[in-house]
Amino acid sequence: MSRIFGIDLGTTNSLIAVMEGERPQIAADPQTGNPLLPSVVAIAPQGEVFVGERAIAMEPHLTVERDGRIHAIGFEGGEAGAVVRSVKRYMGLGGDEVAAEDRHRYSFADFSGPVVRFAIGKRTFTPSQISAEILRALKARAAAALGEQVERVVVTVPAYFNDGQRQATKDAGRLAGLDVVRLVNEPTAASLAYGLHQMAEGRVAVYDLGGGTFDISILNIKGGIFEVLATNGDTHLGGDDFDRLLVDLLLGELPPQLRLDRHVWNSARLAAEAAKKRLSDHDEAELVLRLPDREVRKTISRTEFERMADDLVGRSLERCRMALADAQLAPAEVDAVVLVGGSTRMPLVRRRVAELFGREPMCSLDPDHVVALGAAVQAGVLMGSMGSRDDMLLLDVVPLSLGIETMGGVMERLIHRNTTIPTSVAEMFTTAVDNQTHVDIHVVQGERELARDCRSLARFKLGPIELQPAGVPRVEVTFLIDANGILNVTARDQRTGREHSIDVKPSYGLTDEEIERMLGESIDLGEQDLEQRMLISARNDAAQLLGALARQLEEYASLIQADERQHIEECASKLEGVQNGTDRAYISALVEELNQLTTPFAERIMDYTISRALEKKSVEELS
Amino acid sequence: MVQCPSCAWPSEPRLICPQCGAPLGVELDCFAALELPRKLALDSRELEHIYHEAGRRVHPDRFAAATPAVRQASLKSTALLTRSYRTLRDPVSRGRYWLELMDEKLAENNQRVPPELAELVFEVQQQIGELREAQNGSVNTLCAAVRERREELAGLAARTQEELERNFARWDGGAGERQDLVNELKSALSKIAYLRTLTRDVDRALEGTAAH
Repeated sequence: MSRIFGIDLGTTNSLIAVMEGERPQIAADPQTGNPLLPSVVAIAPQGEVFVGERAIAMEPHLTVERDGRIHAIGFEGGEAGAVVRSVKRYMGLGGDEVAAEDRHRYSFADFSGPVVRFAIGKRTFTPSQISAEILRALKARAAAALGEQVERVVVTVPAYFNDGQRQATKDAGRLAGLDVVRLVNEPTAASLAYGLHQMAEGRVAVYDLGGGTFDISILNIKGGIFEVLATNGDTHLGGDDFDRLLVDLLLGELPPQLRLDRHVWNSARLAAEAAKKRLSDHDEAELVLRLPDREVRKTISRTEFERMADDLVGRSLERCRMALADAQLAPAEVDAVVLVGGSTRMPLVRRRVAELFGREPMCSLDPDHVVALGAAVQAGVLMGSMGSRDDMLLLDVVPLSLGIETMGGVMERLIHRNTTIPTSVAEMFTTAVDNQTHVDIHVVQGERELARDCRSLARFKLGPIELQPAGVPRVEVTFLIDANGILNVTARDQRTGREHSIDVKPSYGLTDEEIERMLGESIDLGEQDLEQRMLISARNDAAQLLGALARQLEEYASLIQADERQHIEECASKLEGVQNGTDRAYISALVEELNQLTTPFAERIMDYTISRALEKKSVEELS
Repeated sequence: MVQCPSCAWPSEPRLICPQCGAPLGVELDCFAALELPRKLALDSRELEHIYHEAGRRVHPDRFAAATPAVRQASLKSTALLTRSYRTLRDPVSRGRYWLELMDEKLAENNQRVPPELAELVFEVQQQIGELREAQNGSVNTLCAAVRERREELAGLAARTQEELERNFARWDGGAGERQDLVNELKSALSKIAYLRTLTRDVDRALEGTAAH
């Protein structure tokens, strides 16, 4: 039987890991050696899908940013494509549940339905479908790196994910052809990576500052049981905010028009990110932005940067205090602090977190890897279930109370939040009028008093019930929450002992039929073998590069020398000759060569367009 | 008799198959699930230990590679175990559950104020009302008074619970007139239930004040 892998399906980056002997190990991209896969998915107009670095490379071609909104742009002769980042923010949500900040980032097909759908060209994609592409890429990566098939996985989710978000994550796995054997809470996974489950008893704070989100979880560990005491966070606070501080500093003196230029902004962002990283182990960093007519240079010391960044860190600490208050703990009562997320490399973050909790945080593992490593540890435990390992047991808790709507719209709690899972509760239902054949049941999740203020999970009809006077039928409905925090419902007639079939209609998320249909659709895209997919990608790269080059040679003919042009055209015609063949390696090699040959030309084009933007600016200033 | 989903061995209904150690996935009462005699006085640490040990043996993570029938049994048994532990862990819910097993329902209408609490309840409700109506100036003094009242309620609940647990021990020991004991248990249980509701009302009123 194949091994079970651990996957961290993150907002900014995703990773896959597996136990190698006693230790978890990340499977890195065999070509680049990068252990992180950016959680970015590009869907090209022709329908090909690119994930990670390759999707990022596609971004300038597929989207433009206008008024803070990402617009898909079309290719000649094709439908529009798009690049989707941070798809995790949309997992398992209905249109009305998407955060205000996230509503305008992409074009959506339908905000009224039970699932948000991205509109890309004429097609629509659910967040689970997009996430499935990330999972497929991880699967392919592990297969390429380790030469082994990935079939079964443990996937991590934020502790606060509700039933719908968890279900959507499992759906994504299914769409990627993976069996998700277990969902594990991210802070729990981080604690596993540090071996904290071996702690006899104690409280752990997991401080997770990622690229775009911040989460703080307070866990209680006792006898191998993980209880989430409290979670808090800010879904829009992360490394990107720190980069923006430096971008603002760098672009502060430039004319506003240039600051809005996508290329300039992007270069500034890259410079900012590099400087931020350098400041983590140097006292000083230089920000350099090259423009056609000048170079903007700024030197910033770590002290200055920390002064600027202090408010952002303060915001995260405020959330920590709120979580501690919810858990009814003083900071000093926490026995261990675990750092997760790339942004916790900043010395300022480490210092301020240490100050708050009065102890040094654990940071011996790479904060970007911690969650994936923990997922692999849990995968190892699950594999051990075929053999002997029985030292550890991971019991998560249900993050939100589950109940049903009763008379007057009041929510009756059946399973309280923080109950250890799996757990179940049985509730007896009867009829209100004579000869009633069905009972309607509305299941909700949340902590509010009224059902309408909670999240609707599902509605179902119980029945058909035998014709009887009111109150006589007795149907026992069992609500069972499995180890992944997902609800299952069964019903049994007490008198006849007969099982009732229940047609559960999820209020949000996808029905089984929809999943089946998507599985059918995804076969032509996803289940082809790796080599075939790589060939298609290589062909598309070639077509795209050749197309763009032809346009540029025509439009910017004045920017290129005759001999340079000749070199480029020779290589291009070679590529044209083979681009529809089957020699994937050769096509890729020629694409690479042509890319290198055309780089100086492309840079001149960029300089030229930017200097034109500057000229325009000075004309405006004169008038 | 039930049949083990794993080894097909027939056994009495219980949590775990005596033959192969797999969970049987059958419904049991909370005491039977934890393999405890039906006694009312329980040591909470020991209870937790039993729960953890049994949990390790039946949890679905142990049966990730088993047949669907065994996995389903493991899920059902673990859910039963968790439910049983939570029911028995809290002396109040344990007492109520035990009464149910004895077919001795608590008075359906728990909202009726136990007579010995009537005066206290009246005073607390009045204080909460005043706090809700309060103007800025007097809020702090009122809050302090309500907090003091909350302490009083907590103390009373704790004393009632001690009384309840003493009665648990008396029942287990076979002392006293059975029906009198049952009535005392019922009265203590509804008193605690009422005190808990009242404490929640107080907490809400205090939270409401803090929010302004």
